Amino acid sequence: MSNQSSGIFNWVNDRLPIKNTYERHLSKHPVPKKVNFWYLFGALALVVLIIQIVSGIWLMFGYENTEEGAFASVEYIMRDVDYGWVVRYMHTTGASMFFAVVYLHMFRGLMYGSYHKPRELVWIFGMTIYLVMMAEGFLGYVLPYGQMSYWGAQVIISLFGAIPFIGESLELWVRGDYYISGATISRFFALHVVALPLILIALVFMHLVALHEVGAGNPEGVDIEKYVDEDGVPLDSVPFFPYKILNALVAIGIFGIVFSIIMFFFPEGGGYMLELANFEEANPLSTPDHIAPVWYYSPYYAMLRAIPDKLGGLIVMGAAIAILFVVPWLDRSKAASIRYKGNLSKIAMTIFVISWLMLAWLGTMPVTELRTTLSQIGTVIYFAFFLLMPVYTSIEKSRPVPERL
Amino acid sequence: MKLVILSFFFLFSLGASSAESAPCGNYGECDEFAPQLNNLESLQLGAVTFMNNCYGCHSLKYSRWNRIAKDLEIPEEIFASNLVYGQTVKLGDTMNGSMKKEVAETWFGISPPDLTLVTRLHGSDWVYTYLKTFYEDSSKPYGVNNMVYPGAAMPNVLASMQGQQILSCKQVPIIASNGGVKRDSSGNNITEEKCGYLKTIPGSGTLSTEEFDEVIYNLVNFMTYVGEPSRADRERIGWYVILFFIIFTSFAYLLFKEYQKDYH
Repeated sequence: MSNQSSGIFNWVNDRLPIKNTYERHLSKHPVPKKVNFWYLFGALALVVLIIQIVSGIWLMFGYENTEEGAFASVEYIMRDVDYGWVVRYMHTTGASMFFAVVYLHMFRGLMYGSYHKPRELVWIFGMTIYLVMMAEGFLGYVLPYGQMSYWGAQVIISLFGAIPFIGESLELWVRGDYYISGATISRFFALHVVALPLILIALVFMHLVALHEVGAGNPEGVDIEKYVDEDGVPLDSVPFFPYKILNALVAIGIFGIVFSIIMFFFPEGGGYMLELANFEEANPLSTPDHIAPVWYYSPYYAMLRAIPDKLGGLIVMGAAIAILFVVPWLDRSKAASIRYKGNLSKIAMTIFVISWLMLAWLGTMPVTELRTTLSQIGTVIYFAFFLLMPVYTSIEKSRPVPERL
Repeated sequence: MKLVILSFFFLFSLGASSAESAPCGNYGECDEFAPQLNNLESLQLGAVTFMNNCYGCHSLKYSRWNRIAKDLEIPEEIFASNLVYGQTVKLGDTMNGSMKKEVAETWFGISPPDLTLVTRLHGSDWVYTYLKTFYEDSSKPYGVNNMVYPGAAMPNVLASMQGQQILSCKQVPIIASNGGVKRDSSGNNITEEKCGYLKTIPGSGTLSTEEFDEVIYNLVNFMTYVGEPSRADRERIGWYVILFFIIFTSFAYLLFKEYQKDYH
């Protein structure tokens, strides 16, 4: 029997590189020996992606993509579908957790210079994933068709209208109607469940293939490829299986605890994950007093509001994301990791993190004059961190990076 | 570095100190409401109050009759004969209300909102406070106004139980800018008259204040349940899932430690 099945395996393997792929990307894939917990968020992001895809498919069983039926169908899932509430909360909690782990993953990249040569493409694929995720999250937020879905969509789609010449036609084209309606819902549904997930999966695949080509980084910024054994395997590495998969399993376990606490006990996340105004069906005739995005967009929303001009706000918000793509070429430091960079980089990083958190908080609050000023200060700091990076990373003195990990 | 962090905290506190409108309107902070979703007696009494006093105007259109009967452990025959209104209603139907929209608009100016999700939209605290803070105001069409939601188009349906509630004034101590109470030269507190306090005229309702509060508590408890009928289940199952992940993490950690010996 075992001979027979290995015969079948060999037959397939001669025609499809199963063993080779498995060894190259999993069982023998070399991973730096010493990494810290910051290196686990990538694996967690993959886990959340799977959670989102699976729970999303189950939600589609009960969701109705029409103007009349959307809101009620979500309540139908919450009430009449057996354990429908589990699936829905998994998806809504998953959305927030996706951004949470991706933000931590991105911060890890900034902190330890994961974008340094030769990992520029890995970084660019990652940033593209983030950009697509933002679109995906926005489209998904419109689907339950509550008040905040409607008015959030109104605010965001109207931004297209600020673009000169083509703005108005573009707005109409995106919405599919003169106002947000069933036409908007059904196209957002198609994009949310088919188009963007396909792109997302393709990008994640490229992100991983590129990563495995150049190898994972480490918190010291040491190039482990310098010292290899006779087989070309880096001396400071261990194979992914069975060693590093255990790090991931522990991380998944802890993440599962955090995820369950939120999902089962605080699914609304204090109104920052499921906004309370969204428990009312969309009403085009009544504008909510305070339109706020969910927490993961709030830093960029704060920047949008910090600029008095709509087009200016749109440009600043777009630039804030765009600038992340060129970070590999802004950082001139010889050391990749913050551990060996100079004091200027450390100070810049600290100010950047605090001001980003401040912007995140401001984006969720109603506007006051003072808060607008604070948002403007935060926006300036955000851009200064990146635009001045070539300057402070070249004038500061970095410490020598060790040879071995 | 410390200076940088401190100066940001200063900026944060500046931004946070700007005045926000109170969550419960003119009433200020809402009265706290802690639901008891496993207290079946409270939920059943709340359901009775709702069906007798609210359902005439307000629907619970995302909820089904028999789901409530099942969750509240009310036998279907008793439920059907005592709590279900309408001859044509089937127990599997959604609770679409008994008032026609056009009629309601003529009577109240707007049609009474569906209340299935009201506790999730405004919070149970808000609904609990709202229902207790109607007061007499002859300038309004129904002779009542509300502290939490001024200008509410709803009459005070439960007035016969609560009795007459009016706005009154009372003497309150003046607080000095340093936070202490202002006193005159002989040490007596200086007071001023402040208005806008709710006062129930004793004996004007069928229930005492405590009894009325309990009726409202049970009602809002029921409405909290209807807002998310699976919440009690969710909070029960959650513990098992967390327990599973704790055990999973412990074993994964032990395995990780064992294998780590190979390369450390």
